[in-house]
Formats: sequence, C-alpha cells, structure tokens
Amino acid sequence: MPTVTVLPDEVAVAAGDGEGILAALYRAGFGYRTGCRRGGCGVCKVDLVSGEVDYPATVAGTVLTAQERATGTCLSCRAVPRGDVVIRLRDERLRCLIPFLRPAPFPRPDPSQRPERKS
Amino acid sequence: MGVIRLGYVHARVTDLEAARRHYGDTLGMRLVHQKPDTLYYKAWDEWDHHSVVLEEGGVGLVKLGYKVERGEDLDRFEQRAQAFGAITERMSKGDNLGVGDGVRIVLPSDHVVELYQEIEVVGTDTGTVNPDPFPRHLVGVGVPRIDHALITAEDPGTVERFFAEVLDFGVSERVVTELDGGETLGSWMFCTNTPHDIAFIKGPNGKLHHFAYYLTDWAEIKRAGELFAMDDVSVDIGPTQHGITRGQTIYFFDPSGNRNEVFSGGYITYPDFPAITWTADQLAKGIFYISRELNERFTSVLT
Repeated sequence: MPTVTVLPDEVAVAAGDGEGILAALYRAGFGYRTGCRRGGCGVCKVDLVSGEVDYPATVAGTVLTAQERATGTCLSCRAVPRGDVVIRLRDERLRCLIPFLRPAPFPRPDPSQRPERKS
Repeated sequence: MGVIRLGYVHARVTDLEAARRHYGDTLGMRLVHQKPDTLYYKAWDEWDHHSVVLEEGGVGLVKLGYKVERGEDLDRFEQRAQAFGAITERMSKGDNLGVGDGVRIVLPSDHVVELYQEIEVVGTDTGTVNPDPFPRHLVGVGVPRIDHALITAEDPGTVERFFAEVLDFGVSERVVTELDGGETLGSWMFCTNTPHDIAFIKGPNGKLHHFAYYLTDWAEIKRAGELFAMDDVSVDIGPTQHGITRGQTIYFFDPSGNRNEVFSGGYITYPDFPAITWTADQLAKGIFYISRELNERFTSVLT
C-alpha cells in the first residue's frame, strides 16, 4: 500500500489500492482546505515533492495545466498515488479532524498550567 | 413582452458517463437527446425540448439561454445590447439543437447569453389534460425545473445595469459595500415572479458559481440531501436557509466540480418590487442565514 506523507507536518498515512490522496487523508482523520473535491476548482492543489500520481478521472486542462503537472503541482482530490508519495501543503497546515483515529494520544493540557479555581 | 425565463444552461463536464449518473440518475432529469460529446436533459415539469446541455471537455459555463416572448423582442434587445456596448451576433435556427433564430450576447462579464423565442416543444411529463401532480416514474430527486444561475463578474454593478437597461430585469436584492453610494458586490435579478432568474457576485469574469433547480419545499430539500449521501454527491453546504431570496438550499457539486443547487421557497416579485439591500458586513448572514458564516468554498470554488 502506498504511503502518503504530508509536509510540513510529516504525517504519514497509508492509501488503499486506487485510493486518492485526499480520500486517504480524510479516512485517517486529517483534512485541509478543499473545494469541490471533484477536480473542478483547483482549491486542493498541493506540491508533489516526490513520487508519482495518476489521474483515473479526467481532469480539465484549465484546472490542472500540463505545465503544472510537469512542474509538480498535484490536484489532491483526484490524484491517486502510484507508489509512496510526499506532498507539501501550500500555505497551510494539516488539520486533525477526527482525533479518535489518531494512533498517538491526543495531547492534553498540562494540569499545572491551569489557572487556580476561585472557590 | 420581454424575457420570460431562464431556458437552458449549457455547461462543460469532464466525463459524460459520470454526468449521466448525476444529472440523470441522481437528479432525475430525462435525457432527451445525445450526441457523442453532448447530452441534452429536460426536467419533468418543463415543456421545452431541453434545459440542461452538458458538453464533454473542461468545466464551467458555455452559455445561458433566456427565452423571450415575441420575435420582435429579439430585435429590440439586440439594438439595446449594441447601444450598451455589448458584442452581439445573430444565431441561426439549428445552431442549438431544437432552438430557433436568436441573438447571442457577450455580457460585460464575458459570459455568453443567448436570447431565443422558438424552441421545439415536447410537453411536460404529466401533460396538460387532467394532469397528475407528478409523474410516477421519477427517479432520484426528480427535479421539476431549473430555476436560476449565479455567475461571477469583476464589476457586478455594470452587469446589473445591463440586465436592467437592456433586458428589463428587476433587482430583488443587492449587496453593497455601504449604504448610499457604495460599490455593488452582488445583485439578484428577476424577469419572472421569483426572487431571481440570474444573479452576479464579485469575482473573476466568465465563471460559473452555480445553477439551480427548483424544489417544492424544505422537505424536498432534505430528501434531496439524503439522496446525495446515497449517491456520494459532493455537498458544499446545507440543507440551510438563505437570507437573500429567503430560499432553502443545498449547494452541491456535479462529478466535474460544477456547483449545482436545489432551491425552494422564496418570495414573489413584481415589476414594482422594492429592492432589498444587504450591507457587506452582513453578507454571511445574507448568504447562509442560520450559520451566519461564509464557508471558504462559497467564494473560492468557481468553474
């Protein structure tokens, strides 16, 4: 199964066979800014740092130009990893939408830092 | 006399088979004609040949067709559009399947609008003699008709002036930067008795924000939402309530990313309707009355 690694957060998730990058991240409880999620708007573009992707669904050339494809722009809602890939989000960080799915415990606030309760 | 309704929406899609599942199976429009690269759909309560044309290749809007009442309206609107400074050309019978002669106008926002008076009439699915309230063969949402389109324009004020001065549309609602002389950020306009038959918001020229289908009521909107879940339709937002137009809504995307809407409710307009004004600081409430927040997609996702 291909691994999708997201920079700058260095979060890695496994993608199923034929599963898209965005779908794999959603399934693991992560998200970021997206638009139509059907390849029409280009809002979810990321940089493909390493690896290769396929586009099984037709993507409009006006949304993802040939030059963008050649220079490492990846339309993450439609891109399916061909093997391990590393992507970098543009001007934003990965958000954890479903903490219950995280393997590591969700960080809890340090009790010693809490303000004292007034009785 | 004048423009009587939005007659057809001609859009681009990346995949005809996916479009067929969405517009045919999920929305329940009837395929009336197909060519290797184009699908023609009609909704059950419409009587003209088609109302949605889907052409393979790309995304976004090709053109909007508005039907006029009389042949002489075409000459009048052509002259007025030219006087306004818009580019026009005559279109001939057969340029559009089933559609007669007409006038093609490039709006100040670069969108293409076609005016026509003749189109092949095929009738509604329930007919006009002792009709049932709905046809029982409907599948999916079973949309009865298209309703309106929202397009983006660098200068919504000029497009509003075009539709008012050239095509005799009225303004139902307007969003302005400030009362008394502020810039127009959005405008909702009517030629029928609905709250809007066309609307513009500030954005890049030539882009489609959405086109909408009418549904009877809030319960139908919810049912449509349930069907969108069953069919894995990408939903933008809703069901919720608009402040502007007072309609109920779900925004969703077709398989190519073009935004659609199911819309119900709204008030009645007349030529003397007093235009409603929203100030920009209340825009979020105007668009999504309940949450009072604009989601990022509303302004950023265009095709």
